[in-house]
Amino acid sequence: MLRLNHVQKAYGTPEQPIPVLHDISIDVADGEFCAILGPSGSGKSTLLNIIGVLDHPDAGEIELGGVPIDFGSATEAARLRNQLLGFVFQSFQLLPRLTAWENVALPLLYRGTPRPERKPRALAMLDRLGLGERVHHLPAELSGGQRQRVALARALIGDPKLVLADEPTGSLDSVTAAEVLQLLRQLNRDFGVTLLMVTHDRGLAEACDRSIEILDGRVVSDVRRDG
Amino acid sequence: MMPRRPAHNLEVAETLREALANLRAQGRRSALALLGILIGTASIVAMLNIGHIAQLETSKLFSHLGADMVQLRAMPTGAAPAALDRELIEQLPARDPDVAWSLPLATGRAQVAFGSQRHDMLIVAITPALPRLAGLHLERGRSIAAIDQCAMVAVAGAEAATQLSSPGNQLMPTGKVAIGDYVYSVIGTLRPSFAEALSPGDYNKALLIPLDCARRVLGSSAPTTAMVRLRPGADAEKAGARLSGMLANASSSIEVISARQLIKTMNEQKAVHTSMLAAIGGISLLVGGIGVMNVMLMSVMERRSEIGLRAAIGATPRDLQLMFTVEAGVLALAGGVAGTLIGVLIAWIMAQYSGWTFDLAFYVLPLGSGMAAIVGLVFGLYPAITAARLHPIEALRAD
Ligand SMILES: Nc1ncnc2c1ncn2[C@@H]1O[C@H](COP(=O)(O)OP(=O)(O)OP(=O)(O)O)[C@@H](O)[C@H]1O
Ligand SMILES: [Mg+2]
Repeated sequence: MLRLNHVQKAYGTPEQPIPVLHDISIDVADGEFCAILGPSGSGKSTLLNIIGVLDHPDAGEIELGGVPIDFGSATEAARLRNQLLGFVFQSFQLLPRLTAWENVALPLLYRGTPRPERKPRALAMLDRLGLGERVHHLPAELSGGQRQRVALARALIGDPKLVLADEPTGSLDSVTAAEVLQLLRQLNRDFGVTLLMVTHDRGLAEACDRSIEILDGRVVSDVRRDG
Repeated sequence: MMPRRPAHNLEVAETLREALANLRAQGRRSALALLGILIGTASIVAMLNIGHIAQLETSKLFSHLGADMVQLRAMPTGAAPAALDRELIEQLPARDPDVAWSLPLATGRAQVAFGSQRHDMLIVAITPALPRLAGLHLERGRSIAAIDQCAMVAVAGAEAATQLSSPGNQLMPTGKVAIGDYVYSVIGTLRPSFAEALSPGDYNKALLIPLDCARRVLGSSAPTTAMVRLRPGADAEKAGARLSGMLANASSSIEVISARQLIKTMNEQKAVHTSMLAAIGGISLLVGGIGVMNVMLMSVMERRSEIGLRAAIGATPRDLQLMFTVEAGVLALAGGVAGTLIGVLIAWIMAQYSGWTFDLAFYVLPLGSGMAAIVGLVFGLYPAITAARLHPIEALRAD
């Protein structure tokens, strides 16, 4: 499903590079729910951004569904994100002007899905995530957990192969965080979607099929659990 | 594996809907950017429409007499009153190849009394051909004819007739008016006519009498003015100088007024106004364009995380560029449409104020709005490109 081959990334200037990722190689199987752990500054977000084709690696290559990713073209990258990937952010990143269903339908807009088709699909997805009653609410009218569920619906609406979640529970209290994790787990099973979740919380990582721990841009442990 | 799709795939209607929603969300700031475009468009549209109206008014000034008219007026050189040779004026078409026709006339003022009304009025002494050539039409009765010769008959202009009438005593044909010391029979009244540039006076306010024996009222039966129509293509300046030479005499020098000269002067004045207004309009549009650019740049900076998110979920650089370009275009177009309407309104007010007939120059409608939209698109391009070039991660991190 996802294969990283000797991926390297450094920030800073060419004269004074600050290496962030050293030689990362990971394989993620189809349908896996995988946690990425590590202290602040270890390079988790950098890694996730590269997998999400939001950034490009300095060296190494990444295959998604058996096809090597072409980082050269911004347009190609956008298509890839639109067709194959879903994103969940710590800060939800919902557009405040749009209602819940309009936020959810946004990826379909960039896929060229006609408007009359977008609305029923967004409504159905929100319904599946238990937000059927809140479809016409603005993000400001929703609780943190509800907002993250809207964001999840948006990540899933395009039927992605891989969902990338960077600290999806980071701005939620522990009870809501547990609920969202529960939901992720359930979606992973129901939709068969592959999930990559960055987290600080070892407790949350325990609930995943696999935890990859990163320290200073290197994989230091990779533990699989049997669900 | 992945279906191919074009570099951007947002429908036009979709993009427009988004743009309108975004602009509404920007509220007051959008309105400010709109203002510059509005002022620019309004001044250009007003200028073009007023130019159009002025053109119509100018052509009206020469509609009957035509642009080939020359008026030769006798100015006294000494104590003796100015006078021209009537026979010489009537022979001008035969004597000069450039002259199509030539009419002698004299003007003056006299006390006119009718019933209880008594007024100082313009008297125009004419030959029978004048009413037809000057485009005067009768309301009632008949005009001055060759058989009238020295008869004491008069034709009253529309306003003059009204002025002399009193309730129950309407001035109409066969009525008698006293002009100076003589009693004239009114044989006709005129319909209102448009005062043209080269009329010897406003016929509406005048009484017309035969030039023969005009001495009774004007002190002399000699013409003081020659109305000359040149043949098309004649050089008005040269012909004017030549004819002056022929008509000048010991008691009179000649002043030449040509329609061409008048039109030229009017056009020069108009050109000054036009280029001034065009400069104001152009500068306002430029300022408006910079306003649009400014608002759009601020909008791009403020909406960085939105741009990052849209990029993350699949907006291509082209999609983002289109989104901001359309926003700028819609913003400017809205200003342009409002500016066009206001510009037409200004033209209408100025026409009322100048006593001109308002006429809409239809071409200004698409021109005004289109110009504004183009300004918006041009000045919106840089902010849109800025948005499209934002790095998605940097943009997402913005908040
Ligand atoms: N655009 C950038 N320019 C320079 N340095 C950067 C940039 N982005 C990240 N870094 C650096 O790279 C390192 C890894 O950052 P990254 O955001 O991947 O860490 P992280 O593991 O996600 O940390 P956190 O848990 O705090 O989110 C950090 O030292 C960070 O300062
Ligand atoms: Mg991070």
